Amino acid sequence: MMNVRLKFTKGNEVKYISHLDLMRTFQRAIRRTDIPVAYSAGFNPHQEISFGAPLSLGVVSNAEYIDIKLAEDMDIKELQRRLNGSMPAGISITGGAVLPEHAKSAMAIVTHARYNIRLIVEGIDKQRLDKAIEDFLKQEQINVMKEQPKKEFKLKEIDIKPMIITMDNIDSKGDEYFLECLLQSGSKANLKPELLVVAFKDYTGYNIKGVRIVREELYAEKDGKLLDLLEYEKR
Amino acid sequence: MKYGSTKEFIYEELLSRVEKPGRYIGTEWNSIHKDPESAGIRFAFCFPDVYEVGMSHLGMKILYHLLNDQEDIFCERIFAPWPDMEEEMRKNGIRLFGLESRDYIDKFDFVGFTLQYEMSYTNIVNMLDLAGIPIRSSERNDGHPFVVAGGPCAYNPEPLHGIVDFFMLGEGEELLPEVMEQYRKWKKAKGSREEFLEAVSGIRGVYVPSFYDVEYNEDNTLKSFKPNRDGIPQKVRKRVIKNLKNAYFPDKIIVPFIDIVHDRIMLEIFRGCTRGCRFCQAGMIYRPVREREVDELIEIATRLIESSGYEEISLSSLSTSDFSKLNELVEKLVSKYESKKIGLSFPSLRIDSFSLKMIQEVQKIRKSGLTFAPEAGTQRLRDVINKGVDEQDLMNSVGAAFETGYSNLKLYFMIGLPTETMEDIQGIADLTFKVVNRYFEVPKEKRGKGLNVTASASSFVPKPFTPFQWEPQDNIETLIEKQRYLQKAIKKKQITFNWHEPYISFMEAVFARGDRRSCDVLIKAWELGCKFDGWDQYFKFDTWMKAFAETGIDPEFYALRRRELDELLPWDHIDVGVTKKYLRSEYKKAQKGELTRDCRVACTGCGINLLEEGGVCK
Repeated sequence: MMNVRLKFTKGNEVKYISHLDLMRTFQRAIRRTDIPVAYSAGFNPHQEISFGAPLSLGVVSNAEYIDIKLAEDMDIKELQRRLNGSMPAGISITGGAVLPEHAKSAMAIVTHARYNIRLIVEGIDKQRLDKAIEDFLKQEQINVMKEQPKKEFKLKEIDIKPMIITMDNIDSKGDEYFLECLLQSGSKANLKPELLVVAFKDYTGYNIKGVRIVREELYAEKDGKLLDLLEYEKR
Repeated sequence: MKYGSTKEFIYEELLSRVEKPGRYIGTEWNSIHKDPESAGIRFAFCFPDVYEVGMSHLGMKILYHLLNDQEDIFCERIFAPWPDMEEEMRKNGIRLFGLESRDYIDKFDFVGFTLQYEMSYTNIVNMLDLAGIPIRSSERNDGHPFVVAGGPCAYNPEPLHGIVDFFMLGEGEELLPEVMEQYRKWKKAKGSREEFLEAVSGIRGVYVPSFYDVEYNEDNTLKSFKPNRDGIPQKVRKRVIKNLKNAYFPDKIIVPFIDIVHDRIMLEIFRGCTRGCRFCQAGMIYRPVREREVDELIEIATRLIESSGYEEISLSSLSTSDFSKLNELVEKLVSKYESKKIGLSFPSLRIDSFSLKMIQEVQKIRKSGLTFAPEAGTQRLRDVINKGVDEQDLMNSVGAAFETGYSNLKLYFMIGLPTETMEDIQGIADLTFKVVNRYFEVPKEKRGKGLNVTASASSFVPKPFTPFQWEPQDNIETLIEKQRYLQKAIKKKQITFNWHEPYISFMEAVFARGDRRSCDVLIKAWELGCKFDGWDQYFKFDTWMKAFAETGIDPEFYALRRRELDELLPWDHIDVGVTKKYLRSEYKKAQKGELTRDCRVACTGCGINLLEEGGVCK
């Protein structure tokens, strides 16, 4: 028995596949490569795998995580190599770590996520955008309507301000602007970047087009510091 | 927002706006991507329904790889875009594209449709229009692809005669490469469009509708059907692979990202069926029965599991429990794959040959539902349709299932079968209740919890090349009356009752036995906005009726009319091997409720053995 955590990309080629689709894609890649994954007991045995934080349809990521329980020990480099040889374009395993015996799942430890958000806005410049962001964040509350999937997608107003840790305009190219945002993410508090963009658009009245979101990293908080999910388990 | 190319625009913009964009990605595992520039022949393999349905189809998987295995052919997949995608495409001036290359298909060499269901015909028209290809064959010229079609519905090709340039009848594994070879020669010789059609019409199994002329009688029945030039066969004979041993099967199959209808390996264990149910078109047109050998099946399964990573194998055929070495095959597959947790499923089990032992074997890995098809509610009617099972068979099978812990069963029935009375309808309810009672006879500690019996009643649609091809369909009012009766009679907590939309069944009956004139209705209905007719939410019966009225064609003539046994039928120029003489004799036996035995026991003289030199049945 051995638990491993792998870090992988979900590239532009696979940004339109859902969380469930991604899970099936891994299950089948694991079968193709004959990796000795552990199976659950019962009538419909399933592979003992789980993912970090689900990603919205259309969002690209450089830092997704999967936890795999193996029935037999295996060299982690070999595991990476085999999986990389059997993945559809866009998914690439970039790192991995063996987990200590009673490690919590990736899903359970995530607290933050960092995103790079590209926006296309005509008729503004860097200074105006910086000022707009500053004013946006100065508000006492940032209220936005959120769909509640578990309540028939009824809308509910929520204050997202506490979930925005940082939001900066870090680069621009013509009408394209790139924001870097550190947001709360995980089971305690979770802010989707798409919702942040909606709130920002509502606040500024900008005609925002061409939104492209990349998840750059997932973090878990440990002793007041943010560590990525592989570092978190390192001693 | 500006994009570098149309392809990028499709991917970044259109796909971000539509439901289930995973349908249009095209980079699934095992999909084939070739350099379009160096492909000598570009083939657009079109399935006229949505991705999830089309990707579940075995024939497409086989032919996709068969074509792509030839170096100079680049075959891509195209499915009917869902209406939201179509709207985005039309709004943005995007034409129909191949999933793999995202190139428009109007410059391809071939656009091929597989015809699985009559109610997808308007989607064919719509897809051609969306591709920018003229809908009618007569309007296409040298710059256009050849529009071709095959599949089970091609056995009555007439409703599509004005749309499809030529049909390929029967199994495609040998026929399609022959057509491709002819195309290479023709392309080299820089021949005319007509010359190519003439050349392929010489290949057995190819039907070029424009080379035949039709005359009608005053009562609208067919008067004559004749070739209009020399050297064209009077009758087009279907193609079969004589022996499945070493017959082509791909080493890999595409693994979709999104969930599809049948998301598993389909291991085709045999073709054809010997049972001879009289309503069943598949049972006639896919004859003769040819089995694959167990060792070869294991080899194919092994290759497919390794290349796909699927967790389930479905043993597919028309009647899986009839496979002569089923026990051996199942035992071998289970022992090989039990440790890898690869499950087996059976899409079609017969009531009488249901093997409890085998089900237990399979259940060791994964538990799946069970479906039985008594088809009719009384023994009299089951004899009329030559189902060849009795109530005791069903009770034995469901009893065995309940005793093994199953508590979820499906029962399939048909309503509107020839000679049916309300007594037979009541029989469906009675039989379903007996199944429920059988469950309660099993001791509580032995049976599974929460009984649910699903009884489905579809409406009978008379099909060409069956003994019932001369029969009228029940009219819509009668079908509804029977459904309502059943709904009341079958009401019980443990029973779920399903039925099919009778208006759709009526349309199926029109096009299943349609002639050339129904082609105009089809195009008119599409012009009026019909598409995705097989989907309840898109089916527009009133629009269809308007299309019939505007073209002056009476749908009841096709669906509700009893044909004379000597009438010239619109599909009589197609030879499926099973003879009209045999179908007539089966029809007469049906009327007397006489059974015809399974022809594995002894030949019943259907004619298929004369299809190929040397015979095809063992």
